[in-house]
Amino acid sequence: MTNRQKYIVDTTLRDGEQSPGMAFSIREKVTIAKSLDALGVSRIEAGTPAMGREECRAFEKIKLACQKAQIIGWNRMNLSDISQSIGCGADIIHVCVPASDLLIREKLRTTRSQVLEKLSACAAAIHTEKRELTIGLEDASRADWDFVVLLIETARDLGATTLRFSDTVGIMSPSLCKATISRIPDNIDIEVHMHNDLGMAVANSIQGLRSGAKYADSTLFGIGERAGNCNLEHLLIATQGQLDFGINLDELQWRQADLKSIIYKNKLAYA
Amino acid sequence: MVTIIDRTLTTFNTAGITARDLNHFCNLLFTCGVTKIELTPELVDLLSFPVTATGLKQWLGGRRFFLTQILPEPLTSDSPGMKESKPLWRLEPNELVEKNIPVSKLNSRYHQKIRIIGLEDLMTRDYPAVFTALLNSGIDTLDLCPGNQQHCATAIALEWLLAGGQSISCGFANHHNFPPLEEVLMGLKLSQPDLFTGDLSVLSELRDLYEKLAGQPVGKMKAIIGTDIFKVESGIHVDGVLKNPHTYEPFNPQTVGNQREIVLGKHSGRQSLLYKLDELELSESTAHIILKHIKSRCTQLGRNLSDRELRTLASEVQNDKQTEIYC
Repeated sequence: MTNRQKYIVDTTLRDGEQSPGMAFSIREKVTIAKSLDALGVSRIEAGTPAMGREECRAFEKIKLACQKAQIIGWNRMNLSDISQSIGCGADIIHVCVPASDLLIREKLRTTRSQVLEKLSACAAAIHTEKRELTIGLEDASRADWDFVVLLIETARDLGATTLRFSDTVGIMSPSLCKATISRIPDNIDIEVHMHNDLGMAVANSIQGLRSGAKYADSTLFGIGERAGNCNLEHLLIATQGQLDFGINLDELQWRQADLKSIIYKNKLAYA
Repeated sequence: MVTIIDRTLTTFNTAGITARDLNHFCNLLFTCGVTKIELTPELVDLLSFPVTATGLKQWLGGRRFFLTQILPEPLTSDSPGMKESKPLWRLEPNELVEKNIPVSKLNSRYHQKIRIIGLEDLMTRDYPAVFTALLNSGIDTLDLCPGNQQHCATAIALEWLLAGGQSISCGFANHHNFPPLEEVLMGLKLSQPDLFTGDLSVLSELRDLYEKLAGQPVGKMKAIIGTDIFKVESGIHVDGVLKNPHTYEPFNPQTVGNQREIVLGKHSGRQSLLYKLDELELSESTAHIILKHIKSRCTQLGRNLSDRELRTLASEVQNDKQTEIYC
């Protein structure tokens, strides 16, 4: 097995908040971020600054409030979005790249070559501002492997420090996850982003980490689109004594309990 | 064909269960692809069989047993008046002996029908090697019922079946920390579509009945059966889903008896709002103002806006605008 030391990228404030009905005020976002920072989460995906003025204000306050964690600004493959993230002071500028032909053709209505061109332009803008670039492959689990490889090589050539492999609709199995992540060359840090549509986000994250990924994405209470993301508490329970994220499970549990009323304003949503 | 055993009913408090609900629950389990339903003697007394059913009820005494289904022969004629006959139910003894011991200590000389429980930490170990050892143990019938204390039971169950395991035991909605039945069934349907014959569209009905019998709600975001898993709010996802639902859905909601719903909230974009205004036959002229109000109200409330609230909000914004014009 690879190195036991692993890191958490918390996306409660971005992918988690996208869960229908979830909505945090600026103050609530800062409270959650401070708690994650104190807990030892290494990277906090604080939101999507392109959403507007309120999101930018929250982002700036989070940046000021957090002592240790790196703050990630999430962006579509769009220069205007990236400019907003840079303006908010994000430590890491994350660019989400649709990797499957389904998303490229049906959602973006574009082509693979245009995706590569746009990605290069985005990377140039980020490097001009001397920010760290990470690249996420959206819907990578349904993408053509040859194009995934091309995107990985492109990401490395463009100076991305981390490559996020996303199982956007949560259809992977642990064995597939293991086989896939093992095939990614080790010249770029790998991050796994697993959704829970089949109830296997924790197991898939574990297999990704055991197969060489350095980072796992997770959220508090596992909140997120549809059936949610990898649940941080569950991931820590399942990997106790096996993987070290630098996070204490007991501390996570009491901090999470404190945040429950902020996250679940509508009590019926939680079960 | 693998054996899917459901154990949900074995841990219910039987006091409040009616024969009608019990029969219906069993019917739905069989419909969605369960092969055997594990029952306690108390539930056998409650179970009313279809008229033609045969069984071992009296012979069994206080032992646990399985309820299975005998599918009728397919009809050979399509002449008018031919009726599809219903499946028959049959009882058979549950001879599985439960073991929670290390795989290396399994001994096929003592028990030929074994259910392995525990193994909840398998995902952080070399599970393919464990499965190989189990499959080579020489035991005739080997059923796996991994615990879900580490939230990996579905994954362990599916990997066991993919490795060649022939039997798995589950519980509906993560009942009693058994592998969640609905997740295992959907995993099988997606990984082996040609072999899976269950109809998962009854899962929503099964969830409602489970909530009634178990007296506890299923989480709204629960994988496969949560009521809210096909609600879409964020602008990026709504954009994709309106263009082609497959972009952000792992399977069609109707497959599990659910339906897609565009909802409005803090993360809604203009396109979502225009879609909803059109759906409710409301004017789009003040959409940009309405969207601003939706975002701030939903942040305050911590929930989505209902259609009724959207109608009221649209009307308020429209009235304010007319007042501005005429003042």
